[in-house]
Amino acid sequence: MSEKKMKTSTSGSNSNSRSAASSERSYQITDYRLEKPRFELKQVCLDDGVCYQIEGDLDAPVPPIRDSKYLSQQQCIEIYRWMLLNRKMETALENLYKQGKVVGGVYFGLGQEACSCASAYALKPDEWLGPMIRNQGSLLVRGFSARDIMMQYMAKAGSPTKGRDASSHFGDIQQRNVVAPISTLGDLIPVLAGVALGARLQGRNIAVMTYIGDGGQSTGVTYEGINFAAVQDLGLVLFVENNLWGYSTPADMQFRVKDLAERAIAYGIPGVIVDGTDPCQVYDAAHEACERARRGEGPTLIEAKMMRMKGHAIHDAAEYVPKPLSEYWKKRDPMARFEDYLVNTKKWLTREENQKLIADVDRELDADREFAVNSPMPVPESAAGGTYCENGCHEVKAKYQVPIVSTRKSVKLKQGDAAVHLK
Amino acid sequence: MPQLTYLEAIRQGIWEEMERDPTVFCIGEDIGIYGGAFKVTDGFIDRFGPERVIDTPIAESAIVGAAFGASLTGMRPVAEFQFMDFIGCAFNQIVNMVAKAHYRWGAPAPMVIRGPSGGNVHGGPFHSQNPEMWFVHAPGLKVVCPASAYDAKGLIKSAIRDNNPVLFFEHKYLYRRIKEEVPAEDYVVPLGRARVAREGLDLSIITYAAMVHTALEAAAILAKEGIEIEIIDLRTLSPLDREAIAQTVRKTNKVILLHEDVRTGGIAGELAAIINEEAFDDLDGPIVRITAQDSPVPFSPPQEEYFLPKVSDIVREARRLKAY
Repeated sequence: MSEKKMKTSTSGSNSNSRSAASSERSYQITDYRLEKPRFELKQVCLDDGVCYQIEGDLDAPVPPIRDSKYLSQQQCIEIYRWMLLNRKMETALENLYKQGKVVGGVYFGLGQEACSCASAYALKPDEWLGPMIRNQGSLLVRGFSARDIMMQYMAKAGSPTKGRDASSHFGDIQQRNVVAPISTLGDLIPVLAGVALGARLQGRNIAVMTYIGDGGQSTGVTYEGINFAAVQDLGLVLFVENNLWGYSTPADMQFRVKDLAERAIAYGIPGVIVDGTDPCQVYDAAHEACERARRGEGPTLIEAKMMRMKGHAIHDAAEYVPKPLSEYWKKRDPMARFEDYLVNTKKWLTREENQKLIADVDRELDADREFAVNSPMPVPESAAGGTYCENGCHEVKAKYQVPIVSTRKSVKLKQGDAAVHLK
Repeated sequence: MPQLTYLEAIRQGIWEEMERDPTVFCIGEDIGIYGGAFKVTDGFIDRFGPERVIDTPIAESAIVGAAFGASLTGMRPVAEFQFMDFIGCAFNQIVNMVAKAHYRWGAPAPMVIRGPSGGNVHGGPFHSQNPEMWFVHAPGLKVVCPASAYDAKGLIKSAIRDNNPVLFFEHKYLYRRIKEEVPAEDYVVPLGRARVAREGLDLSIITYAAMVHTALEAAAILAKEGIEIEIIDLRTLSPLDREAIAQTVRKTNKVILLHEDVRTGGIAGELAAIINEEAFDDLDGPIVRITAQDSPVPFSPPQEEYFLPKVSDIVREARRLKAY
C-alpha cells in the first residue's frame, strides 16, 4: 500500500500562517493496524437470486492486541469493564425486546464495544461527546447508566428524555456534556464543531468527539461539518466507524476511496486508521487526537475498522452478509480478544478476578434492569409542554467562563448603507 | 431622536447586544471584513474582532449546526443567512436538530438566525422568497418579521436575549426605504405581541412586514371615502398574538388577511382558523385573503408586479367587504 505524506500544521500555528505556496503534495495516512486485510465484496447474479460474495484472505490469523502507549493496567481493566457493561446491557435489551417490554426497535453495537468505550475514555469530564446509535458504550463511559438506556427503550417516564425520544437520543448539557443525536446522519458533526467553537470563545481549547459510519459519512452535512471544523481549527475528534454495512448497503457501494481515512486529505487534516476491535489502538489514537485538539491544532479523522455483528436493528437478520465475512470478524470479537489479552497475555487479571468482575457487572445490570422494568410509563398529559424554553425553566450561562472580549472603543457604529446588488 | 433606516436599526440592535453581552457573536458568510452582503454588520469586525464576527465557508448546515453547538455552551450566536431563500440548505438542522432540542432533551438553543427575505426588488425566485411558514410550521421555533425600524431594533434585541431559537426575517425592500425615529438607547419589543399600526373602526387588515406599508397606503386612500381601516402588524408569526387577532375582529367585525407570501400555506389560512375559533360570532362578513399567487417569485418587474399584492387590490377588496 503506498504511503502518501500530508502537509500538516504541526506547530500549532493558526491558519493564516499555513503556506499555500508549496509545490509538492505529499500525504500520509498512518495505519496502526497489525493486519491490513483487503477484501472484495461483489454483487453477483446467481440462478436463484442476487447476493453478495466476498473474496480475500479470510483465513488470516487473528492479530494480537497492540500494547497501548498510554494506558496503565488499571485503565485497561476499567475499559474492559465498560466494554463488558456495554455488551451485557445490549444482551439484556435484546431479552427485554423478546419479552415484549421494548417500544419500537433495538439497535446494537455488537462487535463495536472497543471503539465506543475506549474512544470516550480519552475525553476529559468537561469535554463533550456526540454519540451515534451504536455508541451506547460511550454513553456509559460518560456517566449515564444502563437503566437510563433501558428506560429510553422502554419509553418510561423516568428516561432521560421523560419518554419523549427513544434509544440513544438523549443528552446532558449540564454535567455529562453529551449532545443528543437526531435520526439523520452527519448532523452531529457541525454541532460538535460548534461546541468547540463556543468553548474557544470562552478561552478553552477542548476536544469534542463524535462518530459517523461508513454509510452516514456519505451525507452532505458530514462534509460541511468536518470542513468547517478544519477551516476553523476546532478540536473535533471524529471517529469514522467503518463497520462495513450501512443497513443493507455494503461499504463498497458507499464510496470509492480505499480507506475512509483518506478523506482526511481532502479536508486538510490528519487521518489515521485503527483496528476498531482493539481498544488499545482506539484509545491511543483518540488520546493523541484529543491532545492535538487541546493544543488548538484542530480536527483529526480516525477510521476505526470493524464489522457490525448484528443487523441494522433487531428486526434485521442481516442475511445479506456473506457468511465467511461474519466468521472472519467473529474471530475478532473485541470482548474475547481483550479478555484474552488481560488474563492470558498481560496477566493483569487472574481468572478469579475476571470472574468477579463479570459477576459485578451482571449484578449491576440486574439491578438496573429491575429498576427500569418496574418504573412507570409516562402519564399521557406529560406529552404537553416544553416546546419552548420559557418562564425561567433554564438559565443560560457560559459553561467555562464568560468570554473575555476586546472591544476597540475607537471604532464607532456605522451610519448609512453601501451599494448592494439588490435594491 | 435620530432617524434610522430599518437596516441601521437592526445594525444598532445587534451592536448594542454585542456590547452588552460578551456571549453574543455573529457568524455567517461575508459578514467580517466585507460587513455582510447588505452591510448589516458593517464595521462589526473592526469593533469586536474576528473572534466574534466569524466568516464561514458556504455551508448553511454547518453554520446552523455550529451555532447550535455554541449555544449549548451558553453562547448566543447570531447566524446570518445571506438571503433567507438559502434557508433550504439548512432545513434539516433547523427543524430536526434545533427546533426539537428543548422538547426532547431539555437543551435550550438561544440562537438567532437572521437575514433578508421578501420581494419587490426584482431578485427572482431565489432572492425574493418568504420562507417563514416552513418554520412557523415547526414547533419549537420562534418566527419574527418586523415592519418598522423601531420594531426591528427592539425585536432583534429581544430575539438575541430569548432562550429559544428565533428566525428573524428582515424584509429587504424595507432595508433602506423606511426611516424613522429610533431611540439611541436600550429598549426591547417583546416577541409574540402584535401592534396596532393604524386604528380604525370599519374594517381590519391583519398583515406583516412590507405589506404593512402597502396597507397603510391603501388605508389613506380609503379614509378619503370614509372607510377607516384598522391595521394590525403581527410582528411575530410564531407564537401568534391570538388575543390581538381576536380583539380587532371583535372591534371592526370585518377582516382582510394580507401577506406577500404565496396563498396556499401562507399565514392567512392559520389566521382565518384562529378567527373562526376566537371570534366567529363577531364576523359580519367573510374573511378575505389578499396574497401573492401560488408560484415562485417571477423576476421581470412587470411580472413581479402582477405577482405581488398591490394597493389597488387592497382598496378594491376593502370596498367590497365594507359593502357586504
